[in-house]
Amino acid sequence: MRSMHDAKLLADSISKSYSRPGEKNFLKVLDDIRFHIRESEFVSILGPSGCGKSTLLNILAGFETADCGDVACCGEPVKGPSPERAVVFQSPVLFPWLDVKDNILYGLKLKKEDRKESEDLASVYIKAVALDGFEEYFPSQLSGGMQQRAALARALVLRPKVLLMDEPFASLDAQTRYSMQQLLLSLHGKYRHTMVFITHDVEEALLMSDRICIMSKRPGRIVEEIDVPFERPRSLSLTSTQEFSILKTKIIASLMG
Amino acid sequence: MSERNWNTDIIGFILPALIFITWYLVTLEGKVPGYLIPSPVNLVRVAVDFATGYANLTPYGGTLPAHALASVQRVALGFGLAAAFGLPLGFLTGRINLAKSSLDPTVHLIRIIPGIGWLPIAMVWFGVGETTTLFLVALAAFFPIYVNAAQGASSVSPLLIRAGRMLGASRLTLFTTVIIPAAMPSTVAGLRLGLGISWAYLVLGELTGVTYGLGAVMMDARMLGHVEMILVPMIFIGLLGRVSDMLLVGSFKRLDMFREESKQ
Ligand SMILES: Nc1ncnc2c1ncn2[C@@H]1O[C@H](COP(=O)(O)OP(=O)(O)OP(=O)(O)O)[C@@H](O)[C@H]1O
Ligand SMILES: [Mg+2]
Repeated sequence: MRSMHDAKLLADSISKSYSRPGEKNFLKVLDDIRFHIRESEFVSILGPSGCGKSTLLNILAGFETADCGDVACCGEPVKGPSPERAVVFQSPVLFPWLDVKDNILYGLKLKKEDRKESEDLASVYIKAVALDGFEEYFPSQLSGGMQQRAALARALVLRPKVLLMDEPFASLDAQTRYSMQQLLLSLHGKYRHTMVFITHDVEEALLMSDRICIMSKRPGRIVEEIDVPFERPRSLSLTSTQEFSILKTKIIASLMG
Repeated sequence: MSERNWNTDIIGFILPALIFITWYLVTLEGKVPGYLIPSPVNLVRVAVDFATGYANLTPYGGTLPAHALASVQRVALGFGLAAAFGLPLGFLTGRINLAKSSLDPTVHLIRIIPGIGWLPIAMVWFGVGETTTLFLVALAAFFPIYVNAAQGASSVSPLLIRAGRMLGASRLTLFTTVIIPAAMPSTVAGLRLGLGISWAYLVLGELTGVTYGLGAVMMDARMLGHVEMILVPMIFIGLLGRVSDMLLVGSFKRLDMFREESKQ
């Protein structure tokens, strides 16, 4: 039994309903969600479309509040959005009027950190996501994958306690998605961020995570937690091993419920 | 590509050229008396004289700088006032429901009254001339600035706002660093409309009687029977309006980036 106190991020019996347009009754989206995520752990939340994954992430981020239940980050209750829980959205959501560098510096400027230090830190992460040379490009001048890398650097540069990602690679083409997965794996290896990674792609979840929480159809409940045993560092070749396919089959069975 | 642009450029010049030629021919034949429509050649000579005073063709020779300066100052002040009230109020009503429900209905009620309808009461309140002109310019320019700033602020993508908040922006910094920049395209469109209207109401105000100003020259020239000097200030007002619009757009040049983005 894991101790509740070493949890970096803790969700304690979260439920959420939305009113249905034009109807009196409510649509229950999340039902008694509970999990906890330890320091440096990479946890994926896997579930079918419409099961409430984004709703859950929005509650973890503090954009929305749960009807009941609590979220705590490092023992502190979550009351609203904060750079401690940085978010990478499904689309890049960069500020179109700022160039890559200023987008990445945006959060650091608000923290009022030393300017020189901020610039150095920004260039470290710009390098880490392989955008060096593109500092002065505006988002509209970048490809979709490059924009998503800039969004990743914008979140990482704040050195968040937890990084929340909502299907960050879902809108990318297969090749770009593979290289983004590789990038995220190597960044996680290097910086050991605590990650909550939402996806509906079983292979992606298996390749990236230490643990997978499987959600049921709406109302979303966590039906199973699966520890992913593969050694790190991992690479794409892992997906063609037999252990991988066995686990994949098991997860798919669990998803089909 | 470039050939096509060249063609469309040429096409754009055909109509003005036809008008100009017809105008020239009509005045050449002497079919229309010069005191109704002066010949284009004469008009250009008077315009140059108005600007430089090289031949003192009219009593207004060389007075363009003084009149233009007076007009530009009035537009700048009136437009500035309109922007100083219109932008903050627009941004506030665009974002804050309380501000919207307490302010918006009244503003739109007043907006229904055509700007010209304010002229008589403005003359009662402020007398003819200076203050009335300022009042009319500021009042008329306020509405498009306000409406477009509010529209821009209210339609900022909620995702951008979430991004700003999760990166650590407080309510106030969110306003200055996300909402206002994101509202810029619509806001600049409103400012351009407001500036155009400023010039229109400037002329209206100046016609009521000021000593200096392009509108005043037109009115004065009408009484003295200098038809060229009615038309020449019209041309200069057009030119100044165009230049001021270009300056306004130029000062928001970084916006082009933004437009490319929203096209996607
Ligand atoms: N603001 C809202 N108002 C009403 N209903 C909502 C709202 N947000 C989400 N829902 C409903 O909650 C359910 C879950 O939505 P959510 O976006 O969390 O799903 P998801 O698991 O992220 O799906 P996907 O994989 O397609 O992104 C949906 O049925 C949706 O209609
Ligand atoms: Mg979703």
